[in-house]
Amino acid sequence: MTTTLAQQPAASAAPKQAPAVGHSGPVEEGRRSTTAIPAFVRTAAARAGSALWKSAGIIAFLALWELGPTYLASPSTRVFLPPLHEVVAAWGKLFESGTIQGHLAASLTRSVSGFGGALVAGVSLGLLIAWYGRLNSVLNPLLELFRNTAALALLPVFTLLLGIGEESKISIVAYAAFFPVLLNTIAGVKTVDPLLIRAAKSLGLSSLALFRKVILPSAVPTIFTGIRMAGTASILVLIAAEMVGAKAGLGYLIVNAQSSFLIPDMYAGILTVSLLGLSVNFLLVALERHFSRWRTAVGSGS
Amino acid sequence: MAAKISLRNVTKQFTVRPGKGSKASRRSQDSQPGAAGKTGTQEPATLTALDSLSLDVRDGEFLTLVGPSGSGKTTLLDLLAGLSTPTSGEVLVDGRPVTGPGKDRAVVFQQYALFPWRTASANVSIGLEGRGIDGRKPNRRERAAKASEYLKLVGLAGFEERFPHELSGGMKQRVAIARSLAYQPDVLLMDEPFAALDAQTREQLQDELLRIWRATGKTIVFITHGIDEAVYLGQRVAVLSARPGRLKEIVDVDIPDRDGEDDIRSHPAFVEQRHKVWTLLHDEVRLAQDAGHRKILPDGTAPDEIPGTTLERSAA
Repeated sequence: MTTTLAQQPAASAAPKQAPAVGHSGPVEEGRRSTTAIPAFVRTAAARAGSALWKSAGIIAFLALWELGPTYLASPSTRVFLPPLHEVVAAWGKLFESGTIQGHLAASLTRSVSGFGGALVAGVSLGLLIAWYGRLNSVLNPLLELFRNTAALALLPVFTLLLGIGEESKISIVAYAAFFPVLLNTIAGVKTVDPLLIRAAKSLGLSSLALFRKVILPSAVPTIFTGIRMAGTASILVLIAAEMVGAKAGLGYLIVNAQSSFLIPDMYAGILTVSLLGLSVNFLLVALERHFSRWRTAVGSGS
Repeated sequence: MAAKISLRNVTKQFTVRPGKGSKASRRSQDSQPGAAGKTGTQEPATLTALDSLSLDVRDGEFLTLVGPSGSGKTTLLDLLAGLSTPTSGEVLVDGRPVTGPGKDRAVVFQQYALFPWRTASANVSIGLEGRGIDGRKPNRRERAAKASEYLKLVGLAGFEERFPHELSGGMKQRVAIARSLAYQPDVLLMDEPFAALDAQTREQLQDELLRIWRATGKTIVFITHGIDEAVYLGQRVAVLSARPGRLKEIVDVDIPDRDGEDDIRSHPAFVEQRHKVWTLLHDEVRLAQDAGHRKILPDGTAPDEIPGTTLERSAA
């Protein structure tokens, strides 16, 4: 998050200054370093350098995608593996016609409602189960059973019971997202440092205050790990569910493009899915950072 | 002087569960790696940590408590704090039996036990968030002011907004002390609070604690491993026997000119008292070592305890 925070002002400052100074880069650089924060510019430059280095892998991959089909693949393979610029052009066309936005909106609605439901249910039930040990011993074997049943295996059941409409897709997303949240919530509450509980008790905190002020905050990082896992799981399951039976959504777009032999469109859909996954994860990581900033800087570099 | 705290024939027994490599022993700071294996196949046994112990602590007194490992020092402190109840006997504070934790007593733990998600200031003020003695809830600004006041008392002015992981061990313990003082308890219970600190920081904090004690007039019960520390800090030193913990003797520490600038630790009186406590403790430490006594964890397990030897002695 620190990188984004630092880069955002830099990015927003640049367009503002660009018209005034023209496009003479060095002049602009010199001007900015003489203002109040020259150290900031230096760190920004260092960050940009490290960002370039970090994205080297991705750039290499994209280059391979662009050049590979043209120069390495046989003509028949080239049809099924179009170079990057064709995919991007297809994406642009889909974006212009508003097709991709429509599918994205459909997918987002489903995943957000399913994920949100799972979040509320998972955290509250998890807290309840962790707090009442008796409940845990009854429910744990059952939960293990459900958790280890792949969500997609239950897709036919959901479809039969809830039809092929939105309900079945939202429910299966909720189902897939529920267990990581639930189990991590339970784990988070159970692994609270007993010393902190002793300290809180010695400070005269009531049970409710103990829960609210000690157990919950100390479980937050673990709960967030679960939420991130749930985010990944919900998108995975959603796309699969949309591939099987839907009239809209990114999964539908991909499968439909494939069967209509619109191969670049298919890749455009896939690209959108990965961008969606990336941004969901990025958002959740940022949230997690915000809520766990009290922790020692373990892994803040990632 | 009136007794602030009195323990009457207090006995505390634990049912020791068979050693388990699970949460409790793994998470404990005290368990040593590899030690849990010894206790793989034992039946639950009763372990007497404290055996009819009677002790009075005077109002405003600084009492230090020494004893060999496993002599029930922490158990005793838990009883005083109200974190556990005695198997038999009575624990009285101000003449009233202790039924649970209360705002009249505060505990300072060896491992600081600060809440890592709260800043120093918020850690100190957590005890103020409920209803005070006068029945009203202090608002946020009053709490922050109080926290600053006590952080200043422990020499941490300006560190209000630091998180615990940004503080050194000595500073963390200062915050913990400020936290215990902030809600103005009469009694401060300290469980080896300086044991995890380096020698220099420890000496510094000992002096600070004495200063705070003189300034506030609290009753302090201070558990320690260190004989030097016990004699240096305490007006009286209570020596516990090896398990089951009994009161072996109370040594009155009488050192003339305590507040002087001189190095008290090299004063003949200090050396003499220190030697007295050392002699008392020495036999007990050997006894405890021979019996293989280890620390009992707060949840009543002693993961690295060898059961046969303890039963022998507690039956005697």
